[in-house]
Amino acid sequence: MNKMAIRQAFERAAPAYDAAAFLQQEVARRLDERLELMKIQPSLVVDAGCGTGYALPGLHRRYPDARLLGLDLAHAMTRLARDRLPKPTALARMTRRLTGGGVGHGVVCADLERLPITQDSTDLVWSSLTLQWVADLEATFRQVRGMLRPGGLFIFSTFGPDTLKELRTAFQGLDGHDHVNRFADMHDIGDQLVYAGFQHPVMEMECLTLTYAHLKDLLHELKAIGAHTVLGPRRTGLMGREAWARLERNYEALRHEGRLPATYEIVYGHAWVGPKDRMADGRKVIQLKMERRKAGLES
Amino acid sequence: MDSKLLEILVCPLCKGPLLYRKEAQELICKADRLAYPIRDGIPVMLEEEARPLEAEEEV
Repeated sequence: MNKMAIRQAFERAAPAYDAAAFLQQEVARRLDERLELMKIQPSLVVDAGCGTGYALPGLHRRYPDARLLGLDLAHAMTRLARDRLPKPTALARMTRRLTGGGVGHGVVCADLERLPITQDSTDLVWSSLTLQWVADLEATFRQVRGMLRPGGLFIFSTFGPDTLKELRTAFQGLDGHDHVNRFADMHDIGDQLVYAGFQHPVMEMECLTLTYAHLKDLLHELKAIGAHTVLGPRRTGLMGREAWARLERNYEALRHEGRLPATYEIVYGHAWVGPKDRMADGRKVIQLKMERRKAGLES
Repeated sequence: MDSKLLEILVCPLCKGPLLYRKEAQELICKADRLAYPIRDGIPVMLEEEARPLEAEEEV
């Protein structure tokens, strides 16, 4: 996936995002429930891939004393997210005027594969339905681990391989192209967390099925959430009329109780940062990673 | 720019410290000789959006 294309898709989608983003909201709610079990008192919480900032109020409710930092690749998204940051109290505003200090909440336009955050500064990194856009998952995990303090927690959700499986099936045999992007399997994601130096990774998955009246509603929704890059480099707009009709016919065959189903496989994961001195010898870590990869291929 | 936010920002490439240029609304990495823009109060910490410093530009 081309990162510039992804960013531009989200820049355009920013104003209409929330209406079509029921799925994002629901997944964020379920991810937040998992935080209930975690015994942490973070002072800095980073939302990596904050989008419109829809998860920020929930994070503030859960950790009212924590500073919140929203990161997103698209500037238009960070502008929307900024409005959802907690408003500074009158006391905080006064202190700021007197001391020239800051309140500490903020948004930054950033790439998860090249994070602009100080090492060992963060206690909790939250990332909901963002990692699926990342080109190099393991490199991203290393970046996330770098900004987390020892004892820090990384919790995330992302799409798994069964996401949009109906659409993938409907595209099959159409023009020989794989229109739906491949998503990483939760076992691979768990392995990559370990290679990146995280400890005690826990992975789960569940499938959510949304139903649509028409195929164009599904495709419109994917577009509205900036996710039409999910359809890969060959967009449906470039398809001929005949191919389009066949795609619709293929998908119609799946109609159930009057609606067209679309599966979203949601992968949830979390992992901890242990003592960082173990990673002091960088070469050794890279060696181990390559050996494991080889072993994985042979098995 | 929130001063507390500035404290935790580093160059995304070298993770080195940044110099805040208030008038220019830029965050400068001396090591990489890049100026990251602050647009509408939001730091844009992307290499492709950064301005390479001129050869004679003092920082």
